[in-house]
Amino acid sequence: MHLYRNSIMIFGIVIPTVLIAALVGVSFVVKGKLAASFENKMANFKTFQQGQKAGQAIEREVTLQRQHLERWDTLVKQDTASAVTTQLREISEHLPSKEIQQTAFERSAGKGSLAGTAAQNSSQIRIAFRGTYRTMQKAFLELETRMPQLQLEDLKIDPSNSLTSLLNFQVTYTAWEK
Amino acid sequence: MRATSRASNPAWYQDSLDLDFQLHIRTAGDTITTFYHDRKQAKWSAGPTLSDEILRDPTKVESLILESVRFARSNGATSLGVILHIADEFATTEIKPELDNPAALQELRETVIQDPGSILEDTSIIADQGTWRVLPYPAAGSAAIATTIALSRQYAPLLLQMTEIGENGNFPIITHALAAPLVAIMGLSQTLQSTPGKPFVAILQYPWFTTLAFFNEHGDLRLIRTLQHRGLRRPTNFRNALSTTNASLEFIDPDLFLVPLGSNVDPTLDADLKITFTNSRVEMIQQKAIEGIPSWCPEPGIAAEPAPEAVPENTSHTFTVLREEKWSLQNFLPTPKEVVEIFPAHNEMRLLKIARLARVAVVALAILCISYFVFGMFEIIRQPEWAFDSSQADIAKGRLAKLTLEKSKSAHWDNLLDDRSKAWSNMEFLSRLFPANGGMLVKTYTHSSKANSTPGQAKIGLIKEWKMTGSARDEALDYLNTLNTREGISAHFTDVARITGNNAFDPSIGNRNIVVNVRTQENSNYKPTPPEESSDADESTYPFTFDLTITQRFETEDPLAITTAKAP
Repeated sequence: MHLYRNSIMIFGIVIPTVLIAALVGVSFVVKGKLAASFENKMANFKTFQQGQKAGQAIEREVTLQRQHLERWDTLVKQDTASAVTTQLREISEHLPSKEIQQTAFERSAGKGSLAGTAAQNSSQIRIAFRGTYRTMQKAFLELETRMPQLQLEDLKIDPSNSLTSLLNFQVTYTAWEK
Repeated sequence: MRATSRASNPAWYQDSLDLDFQLHIRTAGDTITTFYHDRKQAKWSAGPTLSDEILRDPTKVESLILESVRFARSNGATSLGVILHIADEFATTEIKPELDNPAALQELRETVIQDPGSILEDTSIIADQGTWRVLPYPAAGSAAIATTIALSRQYAPLLLQMTEIGENGNFPIITHALAAPLVAIMGLSQTLQSTPGKPFVAILQYPWFTTLAFFNEHGDLRLIRTLQHRGLRRPTNFRNALSTTNASLEFIDPDLFLVPLGSNVDPTLDADLKITFTNSRVEMIQQKAIEGIPSWCPEPGIAAEPAPEAVPENTSHTFTVLREEKWSLQNFLPTPKEVVEIFPAHNEMRLLKIARLARVAVVALAILCISYFVFGMFEIIRQPEWAFDSSQADIAKGRLAKLTLEKSKSAHWDNLLDDRSKAWSNMEFLSRLFPANGGMLVKTYTHSSKANSTPGQAKIGLIKEWKMTGSARDEALDYLNTLNTREGISAHFTDVARITGNNAFDPSIGNRNIVVNVRTQENSNYKPTPPEESSDADESTYPFTFDLTITQRFETEDPLAITTAKAP
């Protein structure tokens, strides 16, 4: 008797239970993988949102600076010596010629004392003038406004030997270059 | 389970005598009688007509059984119990004397079914040709503890055919074959009343044989004998057999009860016994009448009806055990094991049912779980993050990197091109340091800016230095002394920063440090001159000379410190 008990147990209970458990297990694994994938997507999405927010903030800053940067880029790319010469010529045209006279122009390829150990490229130029105090100040103001890459390294002012009111100016700039 | 009612109809696993609707068939040699019995209503009615030919040829029984099934169904029955009362044969076979152990009765009862040859004294019997059942002799002092009742298997195919018809029709037909004399003996307790203190003999008159049941003075069975009629109406040696058995059992003048169990049994036996056994009480037993059953075939009523109250004098141990332990109701022709085992047992059907329910429960649980998972997955898929294309993140990252680079570049050049050292502002610084008509004449002015490099730093600090020499009058000394203080020089720097807008002069930013040193001396070339004759440009009109040194330090943390890295 009870010939069928094992068969009933196996085919009636055990196998269906195992199959259903397997189905549930597979569903669990699939959902787990889906959840893991979703976590990954959420992280990406969060990164994306944060990146977008940060990008917008940076973009606002950069947009304001962009026109300056483009101008700066143009300035630092040009040859410093010729640019200074050109600018001085233009500036002098608008100033009394008796009150500003360029007496020397010297360029040096080496780094000046101001650039120090900075890795950015730079050059050094030394210019001498004879002129009146205020005219020279105007000229420097104009030159340094037009060429902000010029950083004053040395400035020496002493009276001219002549009996005029002219002074001797000797100025050394470090010019940042690209 | 769908093809059979075994799971839902318990009748498949019940005894036929326990079913509500029964068909009783009594074969008594010359007569075959059938009765329907409705247990619920305790009603008996005439059954279908059955001939000896049908009984012997199972192929012809189908129509009869189908008719009985229809009748049962029409009476609201869901099953049919077929009880065959075999009254055309009855024989006893003794068991081996060495097995005379009262404690082993139950074991003998089972063994005689499985392996009759192992317990029967007659070793010549062939187990396949007969069927045996143990009948105990409960009387104390019996020569044997039991005997076996032997019947042939002539009706086995008939009962099997009935069972198969039931299987095919998915209608439980449960069969049971009884030895009619055993049932009749069990029913004696309800009908006869023996003389107290005297043994008695029940003489069961069947058409083809006479069974003698010997009871002791306590009403317990001591012996059963069967005498075949061999074509006559009574056994030829009946009186002799009765006398010798009485003598062997040491029964003195026992009561003799005649029980006629056939429609045409010998009616003269009663008178003959009264002549022969003059000292014995000879009595003809009249069976209690049951409506629908003749009095000469009481076995269906005895077997099917619940035990009626026995005559108080006959409530012996024998009658008790014959009914309660069902010794008289043993099935001589049970369904063969190989047929029974085709279908699951009752417990297995129950297990199947439970398994089915369990499966439904597990499937429901699984559906719930899977629904939960699917719902969860659906919830996930509905989220905007799920539809997000990861390449967008890379694009955004790339854009952010580009913007960051642009920002760094902008910050880099903003730093380098900042107004940290300009000639025009230094000239403004000088002109404001020595105002006109201040009593001072500046002779030389030098200014230098140099990096204060410290290796390994991201920024470079600065050192700015101003050196001035000149001449001063008395009224300028206080001013020079004021400049020679931290507050004095800082105020001047602050003033220049405010006027020029150049933060490089602002001493409050960062950790800027300004050191000033003013030294004044008497002018060795001084020539005192009246004020109205003195010229501002004439150094000899100034009684003092001075030299002024200012040093300003910018630390690496200062906003104007120079970035060491190259443009990104």
